[in-house]
Amino acid sequence: MLSYRPGSTFAHRLDPRSKLLVQFGLAIAAVAHPTLPWLVGTTAFALGALAAARLSPLAVLRSYRVVLAVLALAPVVAGVALGPPWFRVEPALRSALYVGRILPVLLVSAAYLTSTPVRDTRAAVQRLVPGKPGRILGAGMALVVRLFPLVLADVREVRDAIHARGGEARPLWDRARLLAVRALERTLDRSDRLAVALRARCFAWNPTLPPLAFERRDYPVLAVGIALALSPLVPT
Amino acid sequence: MATEQSVDLVDDETVGWFTKAVLIAALTAALAQISIPLPGTLPPFSLQPFGMFFAGLVLGPLWGGLALLLYLLVGIAGAPVFSNANAGLGYVIAGQGTGGFLVGFLVGAVVAGAIAHRGTTPRPVADLSVPVQVVALAAAVAVVYAIGVPWLSMVTGLPLARAATVMAPYVPLDLLKLGIAVAVVQGGYLASR
Repeated sequence: MLSYRPGSTFAHRLDPRSKLLVQFGLAIAAVAHPTLPWLVGTTAFALGALAAARLSPLAVLRSYRVVLAVLALAPVVAGVALGPPWFRVEPALRSALYVGRILPVLLVSAAYLTSTPVRDTRAAVQRLVPGKPGRILGAGMALVVRLFPLVLADVREVRDAIHARGGEARPLWDRARLLAVRALERTLDRSDRLAVALRARCFAWNPTLPPLAFERRDYPVLAVGIALALSPLVPT
Repeated sequence: MATEQSVDLVDDETVGWFTKAVLIAALTAALAQISIPLPGTLPPFSLQPFGMFFAGLVLGPLWGGLALLLYLLVGIAGAPVFSNANAGLGYVIAGQGTGGFLVGFLVGAVVAGAIAHRGTTPRPVADLSVPVQVVALAAAVAVVYAIGVPWLSMVTGLPLARAATVMAPYVPLDLLKLGIAVAVVQGGYLASR
């Protein structure tokens, strides 16, 4: 699976805010224009983004293979007809074009996540959203990332314990209920302990943030992001 | 030279709701990785909607919405929290044709919380009557499909009716999950929460 890899590529050196804007801008531009020229253009742009992050397109396709395989079924489903001629080409091609425009969005988001540590995104969110909501979102993201592996281990432990007691023989709803109850119980216990720990550490609305700074190279990237995001407004 | 700044502490009640939202977000992420295989060609029984159900019932619209928003944000930031350990904005938009369902969970948690608690301050879970819980969670499921199906149609270019047909087998499973969530609450396991 794709995750952050330390490095010093052009993409790594950009401010996370400009990268976020480009990502959202490209997603808006790609989804708003289901046409072949835009598909070619956004895919070329996405390949450029991958090159800026020194990331192989094949590696990205491999890690998104399940997603792509399921999406590839859409044109087949769109083309099937419940009577002669049984398969209609025109809706299948239209669906293929719609699915195709998602590919550059996947590629650019892969470039983002391999070149941006989660703590940078957290800092960007906290700076982009002003005041207390930004503080809550920033601290919340950091804590979710920290606690997710522990909660996942809890849930797996509960599942294994149910299996060890012959739980596979129980009806589906009973297994799901047991898993949900025990997982929720452990999660809420963790929440109580976390609340005590945060209060003991003087959890405050005005902490010190990691430094972020726009540099000269960020401005053209920001401009591209804004242009892409506004592209649906330009009449074609 | 003194660079003093007074510390503006977060009050205890807010810390309590905040940590619950954080942990329910982590639980949603964990449940997205676990599914119970079903016999035959049925889709696997995913436990992910329980995150939305519990966020709405336990936390109300504000903190429940925060829980699901945090879940989406850490996924966009790159933590492998979506099903099959996927991550990234591309997955939120496309998913396996299921991107809209992730956004639907966020809106669903807010709707379920608003119906169950009728305000932004959550009431004790034990005070919620069964019909209110059922209506709240059924509305959340309806919202998830109302967002997810047109989104699926938009992403894949499938006509709306065909997108609805593709997702229809999941509806009975989601209603079963709704019943289980209500049973969990009624079992008294959350009475002290």
